[in-house]
Amino acid sequence: MSVLLDIKGLRKQFGGVTALSGIDLAINEGEILGVVGPNGSGKTTLFNVVTGVHKPTAGTVTWKGKDITGIPANQISRNGIGYTFQQAMAFPGLTVLENVQIATEHSAASARTDFAWPTPASLLDFVGIADLANEKAGILPFGSLRLLGLALALATRPSLLLLDEPAAGLNDRETAALVGLVQQFPAHGISVCVIDHDMKLMQMLCKRLAVLDFGSKIADGPTADVLHDPKVLEVYLGGEL
Amino acid sequence: MIKSVSSLRSLAPVLIVLLLLALVPLFSPSNRFLSLAISAGINIIALYGLSVLFGQTGILSMGHTALVGVGAYTAALLARDFDIGFWVSIPVAGIMAAIVAAIIGIPSLRVSGHHFVIMTFAFGQLMTIILTNGGDYTGGASGLDMGKPVTMFGADLDALPRFYLLVVAFVTISAVASWAIINSSYGRTLRAIRENEKLAAALGINVGRHKIGAFIVSGVFAGVSGVLLAYFLRHISPGQFASFPSIYLALMVMIGGARLLLGPLAGGILVSFLPEVLNLDPVQSRILYGVCLIAVILFLPNGLIAGIADGWTWLAKMSKRTPAAGNVPEAGR
Repeated sequence: MSVLLDIKGLRKQFGGVTALSGIDLAINEGEILGVVGPNGSGKTTLFNVVTGVHKPTAGTVTWKGKDITGIPANQISRNGIGYTFQQAMAFPGLTVLENVQIATEHSAASARTDFAWPTPASLLDFVGIADLANEKAGILPFGSLRLLGLALALATRPSLLLLDEPAAGLNDRETAALVGLVQQFPAHGISVCVIDHDMKLMQMLCKRLAVLDFGSKIADGPTADVLHDPKVLEVYLGGEL
Repeated sequence: MIKSVSSLRSLAPVLIVLLLLALVPLFSPSNRFLSLAISAGINIIALYGLSVLFGQTGILSMGHTALVGVGAYTAALLARDFDIGFWVSIPVAGIMAAIVAAIIGIPSLRVSGHHFVIMTFAFGQLMTIILTNGGDYTGGASGLDMGKPVTMFGADLDALPRFYLLVVAFVTISAVASWAIINSSYGRTLRAIRENEKLAAALGINVGRHKIGAFIVSGVFAGVSGVLLAYFLRHISPGQFASFPSIYLALMVMIGGARLLLGPLAGGILVSFLPEVLNLDPVQSRILYGVCLIAVILFLPNGLIAGIADGWTWLAKMSKRTPAAGNVPEAGR
């Protein structure tokens, strides 16, 4: 397994507040990695630094051997890293089809020719919202909106998908459907990194977990081991059960 | 890619209206009417550009007549200093206004919303100050004369009915150009930026470049509009391009509706002719404009045309539902 995205010594300070204090994290090809941690542990900052929203104070982000530290947001997806947001998942005033058309039109054409879902229609079919193609995205129910967000990220033809709390606001049935979709990605050559604090979701999705607390990584390894790590239990449950 | 059927349906009504308007000189209208119609048409050309910027990209400019001014002064200076006529002035003024528009657009990369509106307002004022203090070169506060008539194939287009037809032709070109932009993948990209800038960037769209691009496109329309204005009025002065006329332009595009192709046409005609039809003096008409603006923002946020279209679909739905509702007992469950 080769390393796709290699994060080394990543620091981010906002004034006097240290949001990330030197994170090392490698995402391997073909895996679904989960990044968990309590609120304020630095999960979303990590996400924002990698996707070019914030510039890091120190450290490097290497993508397939190339240094991509601090490059602008629109260059990230052109390099083959797709990502979804917790909020603001779609273009509300445009139809579902137009949403996906825009995303498809701006995917770097050279990126991947072997992509499983090359057209807007095939993407909508895959996530299961083809029947909503002509509706305005702004009137979609929340579950369908999440699926549209996923379709948009997929449309950029990524080799790695970063999902920021993809199941937030979904009910159990919708979450299960989402897990079913995400689990298919590695077979299509898309590695996944999920950021969330929903342990149930993480156990369903990820074989490997990394745990953040106060801007540092406190655990990294197979999901089952990490969940029994005393340090992780301390952070999550305030001590041994 | 252009979706042929549905997008042609948006162009057809505009072309029909313009065709009918082109027939107006046959009914020997008064000079007063033609002058008003020509000014309205010149505004509408700029409005089609403003609708790309505001309607598609979501950036409101309150300094847009400054760009019209760039076009008008370019035409007047080319005629005075280089003896260059109308047809060469059109592309040159378009390019000049586009360059200035790109410069106005640069702050939009860092500033947005109300703050940017204020900056464009300030830019409009700045432009007036520059033109007023330009000495003999810009003619100072009294402005410049345009000594040349518009000629085409040796024929003089200066008579009002002919100039009217020239303006209708330019409005038609502007409408078709605007339509082509709206229905292209470029138009979709601009709408994506309007709807959600952050997501647009995440999908690989260079938001900054496209915002500047929208300014450049709207600048070309404004420049062309300015050339026509200079040749129509025969005299231009800085006051015409200050912030108040800019507010009128923004008002027209909001009243008509910035997102639909009929919007700029309807807005331009309404705002130009309403005071005339209602026989209002300038003070009264300003009050009317203010009331209209508030009413449109409150009740028809997408403009008059979109409001009428929504009302129409609502009526159609209601008339369809009424008999059906009678068949289904209300206490069905």
